[in-house]
Amino acid sequence: MSAVWRAARAAVRRRRVQTFVIGLVVLLSTTTIVVALSLLSATSAPFDKAFARQAGPHAIAEFDPAVVSAEQLTAAKTGVAAVAGPFPLTVLEPAIRTGPGPRGPLTVVGRGDPGGPVDKLDLWDGRWPAAPGEIVLNEPVHPTDRVPPDPDSITLDGTTFTIVGRAYGLAGSADAWVTPEQMAALRPTGIQMLYRFTGDVSSAAAVEDSLAAVTAGLPAKALVASQAYTVVKERISTDIAVYVPFLATFGVLGLVVGIVIVGNVVSGAVVSGYRHIGILKAVGFTPRQVVGVYLVMVSVPAIVACVLGTVLGTLAAQPLLREGFQGLGLDPGIGAGGGIWLAVLVGVPLTVLLAAFVPATRAHRLSAAEAITAGSAPRAGRGTRVQHRLAGVRLPRAVSLGLGQPFARPGRTWFTVAAVLLGVTTVTFATGLADTLVRVSTIQDRSDGQIVVHASDGRSRMAPDGAPPPGQPVATTRTDAQVEELLRGLPGAARVAARYRLPVSEVGQTENLDVNFFRGDYSTMGYADELTAGRWMAGPEETVVPAQLMRERGLSIGDRLTLRLGSASRSLTVVGEVMDGPDGPPGIVADWSVLTSLAPERVVPAHEVLYQVQLVAGFDVASYVRAVAAADASLDAWDTSQLSDLLVTVVGFSSALALLLSTVAALGVFNTVVLNVRERRRDLGMLKSIGMTPRQVVTMVLSSMLVVGLAGGLLGIPLGVLAHRFILPQAADASQVSLPSSVMAVWHAPTLALLALSGVVIALLGALVPAGGAARLTIAEVLHNE
Amino acid sequence: MTTVVRLENVRKEYGDTTALAGVSLEIRAGEAVAVMGPSGCGKSTLLNMIAGLDRPTSGSVWVQDQDLGRLNETKLALFRRHRIGMIFQFFNLLDDLPALDNVALAAQLTGSRVATARQRAMELLDELGIADRRNIYPAALSGGERQRVAVARALMNRPGLLLADEPTGALDSRSGEQVMDLLLDLNQIGQTLLIVTHDERLATRCASRVVELADGRVTNERALERA
Repeated sequence: MSAVWRAARAAVRRRRVQTFVIGLVVLLSTTTIVVALSLLSATSAPFDKAFARQAGPHAIAEFDPAVVSAEQLTAAKTGVAAVAGPFPLTVLEPAIRTGPGPRGPLTVVGRGDPGGPVDKLDLWDGRWPAAPGEIVLNEPVHPTDRVPPDPDSITLDGTTFTIVGRAYGLAGSADAWVTPEQMAALRPTGIQMLYRFTGDVSSAAAVEDSLAAVTAGLPAKALVASQAYTVVKERISTDIAVYVPFLATFGVLGLVVGIVIVGNVVSGAVVSGYRHIGILKAVGFTPRQVVGVYLVMVSVPAIVACVLGTVLGTLAAQPLLREGFQGLGLDPGIGAGGGIWLAVLVGVPLTVLLAAFVPATRAHRLSAAEAITAGSAPRAGRGTRVQHRLAGVRLPRAVSLGLGQPFARPGRTWFTVAAVLLGVTTVTFATGLADTLVRVSTIQDRSDGQIVVHASDGRSRMAPDGAPPPGQPVATTRTDAQVEELLRGLPGAARVAARYRLPVSEVGQTENLDVNFFRGDYSTMGYADELTAGRWMAGPEETVVPAQLMRERGLSIGDRLTLRLGSASRSLTVVGEVMDGPDGPPGIVADWSVLTSLAPERVVPAHEVLYQVQLVAGFDVASYVRAVAAADASLDAWDTSQLSDLLVTVVGFSSALALLLSTVAALGVFNTVVLNVRERRRDLGMLKSIGMTPRQVVTMVLSSMLVVGLAGGLLGIPLGVLAHRFILPQAADASQVSLPSSVMAVWHAPTLALLALSGVVIALLGALVPAGGAARLTIAEVLHNE
Repeated sequence: MTTVVRLENVRKEYGDTTALAGVSLEIRAGEAVAVMGPSGCGKSTLLNMIAGLDRPTSGSVWVQDQDLGRLNETKLALFRRHRIGMIFQFFNLLDDLPALDNVALAAQLTGSRVATARQRAMELLDELGIADRRNIYPAALSGGERQRVAVARALMNRPGLLLADEPTGALDSRSGEQVMDLLLDLNQIGQTLLIVTHDERLATRCASRVVELADGRVTNERALERA
């Protein structure tokens, strides 16, 4: 064994470039694979992981305290693995909101602490309520310094509470928590029990069966309401589903590229060492020892690089995943973990060994003489016909010689083409993805108006994300109409629309429907570009509906929906479906006159209206924003043409992964050229001896990879386009959005030509350094060391 | 007669090893010079200096009035392309090209049109008696045939100086004889020739002068009467 180790160590030292290339390729491939597996793992079950960490309740049950006692509830334990409660609860209405904070009725629960056997809440800000008048809100983790700031108090049914903390529970068992003593004073209307079951909980029906078993012995009508965790899971899954197809695509591409390149590099290293294998056999190494030398030789750099790559990949995956899952309450704990490390630290070296083992066993079968002469004896056959034809083509001879070289080693060439192909597929997909998202963002920016204006209520002010606070709030003295008039009168204003969002009940539905009442020039502001089906509204009796609402409410174009506000009602015909409609939760678009007909006496305060402004072409947005501030200090105006979080996140990680995979692909090319140059150094020496200039040598080597780059580019583009065609609609579908056809039509001749060029660029960049090395080859050494 | 090659006190060192220890030599046009000596005496290094394949540590090398020390890599390549023809012990043909294209290659690198290069290559193969083997790949040629193809390639650009490094070293005796005849014929029609060889028979038969090297120095020079 020591002889094998010594020979392998000597080989590693002697072949420094090859050792470096193996190490670098394994390092980058492992990094890619760890990132890829982390993405795949994160997309597989992020909710389940976070839910298990919080010991989330499989069922949240509300009981009637008039029918069942707390003792009876505590005693009922059939099929229960863990239980929390009884917690008294009530539903409270917040006062009309004048700033940020929760809206709509809140389920408030009296609970002594955030822990316990079930529904372990993540108290991420502040503390748990300790006295009456204190409350904790259920909110996902978010920056606490955002603008406008989170409220520090809330009024519910006339009682003002101090917000002492913010906690997050995935299950959504409550909107807010107070002390049990406080709850007693609020007169609870129900008792909450949180159950984790021992049996099957894979579906809502299974959870309901388990819940039925627990409540079987309780008085009739004790159970007032219940919710299986699957409802929340489905909602959160929809939120993260938009990322899953992207992450999974890049994950799979990363895995395949990593494995292909490692296989190519390692097998190439062994094949190029046949002569050395012959020498080892000649001096008495057994075939098994020879195989051992080669396996050890490639394993040493591979294992070192694999460990480093695992660390790098773990670090690289974190920001990508954090961006993707931030705000969903799923971020802690997502990333590369023990399972991934184990898979990579075992799988990558095994792949390396397997890749080395196959050619090494071929060497095992070769006689010493055959192995020694491999590469120096004349070869017949492969690529000769192509070279002969190219010799007669009117191209510079260096180019035609280079173009024929890939055909001499078809196996290695195909591996290299595959590497470039995957690199180009990634670049193509990332390009299409970015283009589509930019188009979506552009449409949304345009329909939002270039500028959004908000009138302050004197308590808070609004600014775009990341912008500094605009200053002390000043209550507007203008009416809604006066604000609109002011905005129309400022220089540069081309179109102004006023939007007022109001939840309105829809006849036949239990849940309210968000309606965006628009006034002004909204029809010409660009919402029509968001149409995915049907047409834009032709009158106030028509509406367009976001795709998500169409699905949730089972609507089709042509359907009528009836809005009811108080005693008034009004029917609208659905004439079109839009991608996601106005900014905010999905809501239908209706003309302001519909609001007037539903509530003729309602006076909408200016601070509840958002004003959207589009300027005449070429007018400076910043100067209009300044003009608004100068005209009325209570008005906050800002440029809306900002990049969305989704755009930044997806484009960010797709660009990073495209760059990483392209680099790995270029390294695959680098390795191929290094091997080709080593194998053909005798030919190169001869060519230089008969007058081939260094520039011609570089041209020849680059030409040899030009074919590979073009082939990889031409094959990779359709794959990338296909991925774009299939995966984007899938992602949109998962997030319940439909995409207008205009945002998918991103493939034009110049883009495709540039993408085809990306294969060539990957190939040429990978080939450049070894081509330079070939040009500097010392002829005398090559030709006389036969 | 004009001087084709002039070496002035050429030294070549590889680390601590001295391959040439101050060699001075002149070869005149039309001469056939054989450089002989034991292994490691510096024969091949001398040939490399003259071909511009390697640079001396000190001293100067002039070939056809060109000081090779003043040429960069590209100019050296152009120098080799137009002024030098080289023949190697192991032929150094491209395995994936047939004989004709191997020969034409040397002209094609200069930018010659394919048809012109192939026509000239065909003429040379014809002159060397292997025109019928023009479409055969090196692996299917005999050693003697491969060396003839290599000679044809070396002559392709009508070089002023033909350098041969052990041209018969890898051939059987019959093929070796044929190559010797070929080199003799070439010299007799005016081709200047420098042959590095161990083979006393080759030197005696083809060369008009023998230069003997030992330990990197010229130890003897003698003129020969050809057989």
